[in-house]
Amino acid sequence: MEQKWELLSSTNEDREKIWTKNRTFAGDVWFRFRRKPTAIAGFVIIVLLVCFAVFGPFFTKYSYSDQNLEVVNIPPVMKVYEAPDGEGYLYITQSLKVVYVNPDGTLGEQLTRVRSEDDQMMTIFDCNGTEVALYYGQKPYVIADQETKIIYPSTTMWNRSYILGTDALGRDILTRLMYGTRISLLVAFIAAGVNMVIGILYGGISGYTGGNTDTIMMRIVDIISTIPLTLYVILIMVLMGNGLHSIIIALGSVYWVDMARVVRGQMLSLKGQEFVLAARTIGSSTKTILLEHLIPNAMGSILVTVTMLIPSAIFMEAFLGYVGIGLQPPLASLGTMCNDATANLRTCPYQLFIPALMICMIMFAFNFVGDGLRDALDPKLKK
Amino acid sequence: MWKYFAKRLGMMAVALFFIILLTFIIMHSIPGGPFTSDRKVSAEVEAALNAKYNLDAPLYEQFFDYLGGVLRGDFGPSYEYTGKSVNDFIANGFPVSAKLGVITMVFVLLASIPMGILAAVKNGKWQDMAVMAVATIGVTIPSFVIASVLIYIFSFRLNWLPTYGVDTWKGYILPVIALGGYSVSYLARLMRSSLLEVMGQDYIRTARAKGLSETKVILRHAMRNALIPVITVLGPTVANLLTGSFVVEKIFAIPGLGVHFVNSVSQRDYTTIMGVTIFYATFLLAMIFIVDVFYCLIDPRIKYE
Repeated sequence: MEQKWELLSSTNEDREKIWTKNRTFAGDVWFRFRRKPTAIAGFVIIVLLVCFAVFGPFFTKYSYSDQNLEVVNIPPVMKVYEAPDGEGYLYITQSLKVVYVNPDGTLGEQLTRVRSEDDQMMTIFDCNGTEVALYYGQKPYVIADQETKIIYPSTTMWNRSYILGTDALGRDILTRLMYGTRISLLVAFIAAGVNMVIGILYGGISGYTGGNTDTIMMRIVDIISTIPLTLYVILIMVLMGNGLHSIIIALGSVYWVDMARVVRGQMLSLKGQEFVLAARTIGSSTKTILLEHLIPNAMGSILVTVTMLIPSAIFMEAFLGYVGIGLQPPLASLGTMCNDATANLRTCPYQLFIPALMICMIMFAFNFVGDGLRDALDPKLKK
Repeated sequence: MWKYFAKRLGMMAVALFFIILLTFIIMHSIPGGPFTSDRKVSAEVEAALNAKYNLDAPLYEQFFDYLGGVLRGDFGPSYEYTGKSVNDFIANGFPVSAKLGVITMVFVLLASIPMGILAAVKNGKWQDMAVMAVATIGVTIPSFVIASVLIYIFSFRLNWLPTYGVDTWKGYILPVIALGGYSVSYLARLMRSSLLEVMGQDYIRTARAKGLSETKVILRHAMRNALIPVITVLGPTVANLLTGSFVVEKIFAIPGLGVHFVNSVSQRDYTTIMGVTIFYATFLLAMIFIVDVFYCLIDPRIKYE
């Protein structure tokens, strides 16, 4: 019979070949994390938003506090009338002024008022030597020729000077949005970081030491968790005054309770395992066991809790800003921008919707990443 | 069981004591007294004012004085409005807030539980997807954004509902949705996952094997256990509605306690801040305790520590 299969000599190295490379814990988490499209989308959005907030302000020619009272409340998409010079356009502001719009969509000067014809319900402006009339007898207001009463043809165009429009003080919303996102993210990250450190230390000590220490420390946590935290954040803000540092301190000092509970729970289940016993047998100190053995093992649940904590910090910051206890103007956060915009919601809804949309995007992104991380770190939880 | 409740009550008292102490300390460590203002007040007048409000006494004496007042249900006078006491604010504002809160709570329960059941029963189908999409949106969007968008659409654009006030039943619609949006979404998600978990258990298979109809299986057998996690979070939900009402009352100009609180914060009306904080905290602790009692009565598996 013909030999179909030829036998090769085998070596030890060949035997190794069938084994795949060992995946590290992080690699394993990444493998499961990237399987989830929503989690990846959330992650990408967060990276983009961070870039937007960090690098965006370098590319804009305005600052968050630059006021230009000539161009107040101008929306991103404007309804404009053709100017009599045949090139540019005219835009009617809400305070019944007329702004010249260049052909490329950038904003020019405000037209000077010549006189008002109250009986005809008209205000006459001077447009490069030609007189144009703003007729305010009926809504929507129009621009017409005073003599012939012919309304100039209108069109809509994008605002190229202020891509997202301007607010009630003539500040560029895009620039403020960048700074606002920056501050909101900064507050959230720092608050989450501070809470993580306090929570890990508190929960770690409580869970590892056990006994009476544990009981007393957990009783304290029980009492703190019955206190409505929103009220305490507000009280701390009242105590420290408005400002970025007081928001960070207020948020950083109240949200560690959940973290402490999570870490304690992990400590309790981990400290009875053999590797801790082994570490103790070779004479490791409590500090080493806690910092090098127990906490790294609990890192999964800690990370999940942190990613869930960031959205609640952003929520809280927006809430404070909206209620009017937060940053000192002209500093902007997403919450204060929403608050500023409520006054003229009826006429300029875009001023509210833009920062609101930003808050929602951040919240979605962090929630998705949090969900993805939870599933990736703890496959047991997955249904 | 009674021992457990007594213990919980004791803990509540301790928590309340610390809340009062902490609030008192925070309010008294703010630099400047309540009568420090831009207008210079002569030293005699300030001394007289301090004497009137007992502010010249040592701090611990002031504290026990205040504590005694709180225990008698007297939160002292408002510093900002002469002749008004903090009790007046609470008496005026709380009924309004409470009415809004109760209506919202009913709305939350009536909306979230059926939504959760629907999503769990139609697990993986479009109904499930729709409920989960709505619930995800509700959890991620702050109440003030929901409120503003609702006002813009239903009041400004469509002119169907009033923008402020709760004089008519129509006035309640938008505030209730804005206030309850988060809780509805949260509870619906919780209801769905807990019902799904229960539906996988053996006793449900037994119930089905007996030939019970699916409706009976779900409502009689599964719901009883699936509702327990939902009941646990009712306490925090009340807390959520309470603090959420700060914003919602402000937007819709509802003269409730939340608006008073926010105003007193921006006016630095210290006694009102203290009084309302303590009132809120007491109310919340009481709600959480009531929920706990219910929880123990409903679930016989609970062990009392």
